[in-house]
Formats: sequence, structure tokens, C-alpha cells
Amino acid sequence: MLPVLAIFVHVPPGRLLAQLSNPVVHDALVVTVRTSVVAQALILLLGTPLAYFLATRRFRGRALLITLVELPIVLPPAVAGIGLLVAFGRFGLLGRHFGVWSLVSFNWLAVTFAVLLVAGPFYVRSAISAFEAVDRDLVAAARTLGARPLRTFFRVSLPLARSGLAAGEAVALARGIGEFGATIMFAGSLQGRTQTLSLAVYAEFDRNFDVALAISAVLVLLSVAILLALKVSALWQPSRQSSPSLFARFGSS
Amino acid sequence: MTRRPPAALAAALLLVVGAGVAGAARPKPSGKPLPPPITVFAASSLTDAFPAIDSRDTYSFAGSSTLATQIMNGAPADVLASANTTIPNMLYAQGLVEKPVDFTRNTLVIIVPKTNPADISDVYDLTKPGVRIDIANSSVPVGSYTLSILKNMNLTGAVLANVVSQETDVRTVLTKIALGQADAGFVYATDARSAAGQVTVVRLPAWAQPKVTYAMAVVTRSAHQAAAQAFVKEVLSKAGQAKLQYFGFLPLPAGSSS
Repeated sequence: MLPVLAIFVHVPPGRLLAQLSNPVVHDALVVTVRTSVVAQALILLLGTPLAYFLATRRFRGRALLITLVELPIVLPPAVAGIGLLVAFGRFGLLGRHFGVWSLVSFNWLAVTFAVLLVAGPFYVRSAISAFEAVDRDLVAAARTLGARPLRTFFRVSLPLARSGLAAGEAVALARGIGEFGATIMFAGSLQGRTQTLSLAVYAEFDRNFDVALAISAVLVLLSVAILLALKVSALWQPSRQSSPSLFARFGSS
Repeated sequence: MTRRPPAALAAALLLVVGAGVAGAARPKPSGKPLPPPITVFAASSLTDAFPAIDSRDTYSFAGSSTLATQIMNGAPADVLASANTTIPNMLYAQGLVEKPVDFTRNTLVIIVPKTNPADISDVYDLTKPGVRIDIANSSVPVGSYTLSILKNMNLTGAVLANVVSQETDVRTVLTKIALGQADAGFVYATDARSAAGQVTVVRLPAWAQPKVTYAMAVVTRSAHQAAAQAFVKEVLSKAGQAKLQYFGFLPLPAGSSS
């Protein structure tokens, strides 16, 4: 807690707010928001079906596949960065073919890619647990009542797995915003194009320490906002517990 | 083998190892004890040269501005060796280091990947649209030297438009070019030499070169003042200067005062 508090104590709030109008901070915010939105959308779109598949199907090699998907969680980000370079770099395994490298060289797509790789697994792992916890009987009941698999997924499995998915997405979002090593190695750092908030802190560290502090404060507030949103969204769940929740008190008969 | 209690075995091992280490640490019979190893914060471009001058010390290589920030925040350095004179002078004005001394010089070059994918043969080719250039950011000495040389040649706008990334130290630029990630980069001649097999040098005109002078200073808070001064002397000595020149650094102008 102390390091976090120290950030806000070190610089007077007035100066902190003044730094927020600094173009460096503004550009970093724009880059971060843009790449986060796209990356998280991709994570949700691709990760949810993948997690559902891994949670509900049993097949040979399932454990191995799950391990591979979760690997980036334990991988040091710098290693992820080097991996991206040798895979998608100019002379990389995939990069040297089909103009792949020029698609992702030093632009916001490269940042999005890096975020996808390091943050995605956090969501998928949580989603797998969430789908596994869905009561099979309920799904079976829906099927016997005539609902097709897709309808069952959207009307039964997904809502029941909601809180686990939300928690996983919150972690993935926070991890993605904080991503540094893979981004700076693969996407580079250029204000307005690839310099996210995390990269901007590093760049301003020895250029203008006050700006670095201001950006750090922004990042702390973002993290708190994500956490709060997660807590609040948990309250919206219809409570199945015996201890009364805020909303169950009003709803139950 | 009889079963000895593990604790006794461990203790015996420790005694043997301890005795060996103690014996190794005893000063050589040939004379005075060696000065304690010190912590040297040095610019990245000195990564190869400094350990060759004195291999016993602990080195921390990074962009000179990063090192300065660390020293300003209390990092335990004994000596700072910066790729410019501005940074040590700034710290001297703040009372963090002793009076800096110049100790070597360098030149700026353009490097391209060995295969030269963008077909760069001189600095003007860098203004071609679509060329990807990697430089260090302006707070790092090599970054500000890059901006100086571009200003001298009146190419600032045209070249900066093609910059795709700004790194925090010169060796990152070198690595990205060696990997072929960018088409061209600005580094020191000494860095290009250290990766001779992976990059090709494109020379910059001598008339446009900024004065690249490295300066070093003893940190005032250092607990090893004598050893730090000895290190500075060693770098300035004939042998130290010869080692620097071996790696491609340039000698100080004759008769220059420290």
C-alpha cells in the first residue's frame, strides 16, 4: 500500500492534474484505450468459445492444450516479447512470409497483439473454471426442453458463468493495461503510436519525473476503477446464498 | 558408508568450504591488498570496454539519463560514467558528484541490418517515405546527439517523420537493427563495431558530427572514495585509454584538461 500512497503524496494534486493535460500523457491514454478496447474485445470474442470448448469437452490432449493456453500467465513478459520478435519479426518464423511483419511492425496492432498474448490467458483460465462450474443438469434440462446448443449457451451457460467471466476479464484488462516488457520489445515506443501509459512512465522516468508520477497516478486510479467495477458487478448477481445480499432483500418473497 | 547424522555432515562440508573461501580471500603474499571492488554506473556504450579495463568491479549499464535519475534517488553508485558532459555537470551542480573529468570521445554512425532491406547508402536515404528508423529518445545522450546531427544537416523534420520507435538506451537500438526490426538506426561507432557481423555501418559526414565527449565523476556519497578515484585514474591512464581505443573510442584532443 505504501508505494501506492507515496505516489499521491509525492506530488501535490494540483500539479498532478496539470500534468494530465501534457500531450505525452494524453497520447499515452489514447494509445492505451485504443489498444485495450480492441485487444479485450478480441480476447472476449475468441476466448469465450475457446474456454467453453475446453470446459465442456473431454478429448485426448485436453490437459496439454489447457497448459499451452495458460503458459503466457507464467511466462516472464520479456520472454513473451522475445518470442513475438522471433515469430513475427522481420526475419521471424511467420514474419518473413506473406508480409505479416509489415502488418504489425511498430504500430498499434503490434501493441494489441502483445496485450492479447499476455492478457488473454488470464481471461481464458477464469472462463474455463466458470463454465466448468455451471450445473450440467441445468444445461441438460434446457436441451430436453428443446433449446438448441447455441440458445442454451446464451440463455443458460453464459449467464450462469457471468461472475467468473467478469472476474477473468477484469484481471485480463488490468494485465493488458499494465503490459510493458512484450510491448516495448515488439512494438517499440513512440508517442502517439505505440507508447502506452506503462511505456510512457518508463520514457518519462528520466525525462520529467513529475510526468512519470502523474501517469502512475492515472494508472493507479484506472486499476481501482476496474476493481470497483468488478465488485459492483458481483452485487448484480441474483444471490443464491442464504446470507442476504443488498438486492435479494428486496426481491425475495 | 556408515550413516552419519546429516547435520554433522553438513557442518563438516561448511567447514571445508569455508576454509577454502577464507584461504582464497587472503591477500596475496606479493604485497598490498587490492582495493575493494566498486559499483560503476556507466553508459551502455561502455558495456564492452569498461570490464576490459577493470573486470573486478560491479557495473550497471544503462542509458546515462536513467543512471543519473537513479543516483538522484539514492542508488549506491561509486562512479558515474556518462556519454556526455551535460549529465555529470548537472549532477555536479546538485552536489551529487565530484567535478567531472572527460575521459574519451566517440562518433555517431547509422547502422542498417546486414541485408540492408531498405537499401540505405547514405543519410539522405533516410528521408525516403516508408523507411523505418529507430533512435534513442532525446533524454539519452545518443538521442540528443542524433537530434544535433540531424539539425546540423537540416534533416530533422524529414528523418523524424520516419522514426518508429524511441528507445531508452543505445544498445536496444543496436539490437533492434541487428534483428532486422527497423531499417536503420543511430548508434555510436563503438556499438556498431561490437555487432560487426550483424549490422552494416553507413557513415555520417564528419562536418556534421556533434562533439561527443564522455565524462565521469566520483559520486560524493560513495563509501569507497579512494577506490573510486583509483578507477577514474585507471581509465585515464595510458593502459585504460589504449583499451578504450581498442574498442573504437577516440582519444581526447591533445592537451585537453580534465
